[in-house]
Amino acid sequence: MSDTTPGEYLRTIAILAAATAFALPFRDHVNTIDVAMLYLLAVVVVATFYRRGPAILASVLAILAFDFVFVPPYYTFGVHDTDYLFTFGVMFVVALLMSGLTTRIREQAREAAERERRTAALYELDQAMTAAATRAEVTAIAERHIGSAGGGDARIVLVDDAGADWPGDGIFEHLAVRITAAWVHDSGEPGGPGTRHCTEAEALICPLRTGVRRLGVVVLAPEPEDRIPSAEEVETVAELARHTADLLDRVSLHERHERARAEVEAERLRSSLLSSLSHDLRTPLGAIEGAASSLREETAVLPADVRHELAGTILEESRRMNRLVSNLLDMVRVESGSLTVQKSWQPLEEVLGVVLIRLDEALREHPVALHLPPELPLVPIDEILVEQVFVNLLENAARYTPPGTPLEVRAKETDDSVLVEVSDHGPGLPPGQEEMVFHKFFQGDGTRAAGGAGLGLTICRGIVTAHGGRIWAAPRDGGGAAFRFTLPLGGPPPGPVPTAAES
Amino acid sequence: MNPPAAVVLVIEDDAPMRRFLGAALRAQAYRVVEAASAREGLAQAAGRNPGVILLDLGLPDGDGLDLTPRLRAGTRAAIIVISARGREHDKVTALDRGADDYLTKPFGVPELLARVRVALRHAASTGGAMDAPVFEAGQVRVDLVRRRVFRGDVEVHLTPTEYKLLAALVRHAGRVITHRQLLEEVWGANYAGQTHYLRVYMAQLRHKLERDPARPRLLSTEPGVGYRLEER
Repeated sequence: MSDTTPGEYLRTIAILAAATAFALPFRDHVNTIDVAMLYLLAVVVVATFYRRGPAILASVLAILAFDFVFVPPYYTFGVHDTDYLFTFGVMFVVALLMSGLTTRIREQAREAAERERRTAALYELDQAMTAAATRAEVTAIAERHIGSAGGGDARIVLVDDAGADWPGDGIFEHLAVRITAAWVHDSGEPGGPGTRHCTEAEALICPLRTGVRRLGVVVLAPEPEDRIPSAEEVETVAELARHTADLLDRVSLHERHERARAEVEAERLRSSLLSSLSHDLRTPLGAIEGAASSLREETAVLPADVRHELAGTILEESRRMNRLVSNLLDMVRVESGSLTVQKSWQPLEEVLGVVLIRLDEALREHPVALHLPPELPLVPIDEILVEQVFVNLLENAARYTPPGTPLEVRAKETDDSVLVEVSDHGPGLPPGQEEMVFHKFFQGDGTRAAGGAGLGLTICRGIVTAHGGRIWAAPRDGGGAAFRFTLPLGGPPPGPVPTAAES
Repeated sequence: MNPPAAVVLVIEDDAPMRRFLGAALRAQAYRVVEAASAREGLAQAAGRNPGVILLDLGLPDGDGLDLTPRLRAGTRAAIIVISARGREHDKVTALDRGADDYLTKPFGVPELLARVRVALRHAASTGGAMDAPVFEAGQVRVDLVRRRVFRGDVEVHLTPTEYKLLAALVRHAGRVITHRQLLEEVWGANYAGQTHYLRVYMAQLRHKLERDPARPRLLSTEPGVGYRLEER
């Protein structure tokens, strides 16, 4: 602010000399006060463009020149008319005021520009942060922005309040940086070159703080190495650091909130599972126990057909329990991530053959039409798992559609996968439930009566996902529901099957 | 049917399951010997000369998988392992270690008896000179002497590999054959990993022999394990 160059003083002298030279020819034709005005103008010009020093010099020179050249007696510093003393005083005060004013205006303009730059940097940071959801993302974005705003390489080190454990790599290899970081973290003030503390450190370090919470520090290694950041840069970095700290705080709050929400959700699912379990396991158990005890206690009095029916009940209910337990076990495998997919290349027809035989009874009321084009390639799948996908989809379809309505399975090759569709001619999914049906324990209307536990489609999704595919539901053209899934054809293709010498 | 009645050894730790197996088998006039542990099972297998051993793979005192080769070494009985769904790898291991067939829990009495019958028949014929020269199941007739295959009255033309595959299945009719066993029998030991050969040829066989190849009644798939030629 006080770095006025000698040139400015020289130019000040030149301006005053020019004003004197300009006014001299008119000395005897104009009023002396008008000449004073000209000098005042010169002083204002100097005060406007230069700083306080040249302005004071200008006002002193103006008074001296005015007195010497224009105030009688000419070419002496004596003054006949004491009125001129007052004129001198006014000129001096005006010069001082003007210079002070212009200096302040200039200072304010500079500060405004600086503020604007900092605001712009903050704004850019905010813009970049809108998508950041985790502490890691916030940290990465902040490092980039602070680095470019501070002219160097920024690094954020987060430490918990308890004990700061500083890294030892990169810029932290310097002992001074580690010491400064610790000091900055403790004191909450910036340190390093360009600040008032620890100026010998190799990097500028600003604290990450929100109120009283200490989150860590921002370390800015200037580029080139020995550059000393300006006061503005220090302030900008400090400001961005404060802002980053706020964002970090908000994100970790959000993360904690999310965790809590997930726990509540898990708790809800657990209790839902328990109620579903106790209902779905107890109901068939009750029927089995009732039928078995009747058979045992009253064999003598029961007619043969009733005995047969009771035995049938036991059989049916055991199968229902078996299905449920299998589903639960599959679910656990899907959920725990212990689903190991053992792929081998095979025709879908074979898997479907197993499924259709296995579901013979369940599908008695629903003819299944297969549309498998003969050119369909072998698919790399875990047959046991994909079999389960078909079983669940077809069982669901049979359960939710009126008896007698047909089901369809079709498949076709797409770019890099095989697209499979299992569709029915039933009422279709209620609009908006296409995604919900895949949620755990989701129960469609009347599912309870149909004996489902709301796991089948979740298991399907787990299995298809484990194969690298996608599964979704959609309305079938012409009514009904369609479940589609993809099975990627990736991986090393099987060797060709030898057909030579065959006829 | 066969005097004297065959002995079936049941090695199963779960008492209700043992009771069920015993009751179902005794009702068919088999003589049933029960063992609740691997140790007891080994002793009984040596002393009672069973025709069939039903072995639960989930025994507490010794893995049923380890027991399989020891039983195989000490007896000529057919070994049928019992295992849960989802343990296909165990089944394949047991079959490759000398077991003859398997049952997946839960299973019904008809399935159990069918397996035992097939096992006894194969056990009886192992030492015999010749299996039946003509195999018949459903619509399909295989003349093993003249190497001709008929569906109904119509002769079906098979490629040499298709015929070899079918013949291998016929030799094991009613019993499961693992992918590895089939590949070794038809293509040779070097091809044991090429299961897709097998699947492609099975599909071809089904299209030639089954009424509805997508609902095979004769050439059954045993998912994750192998194939079975049904005898009906």
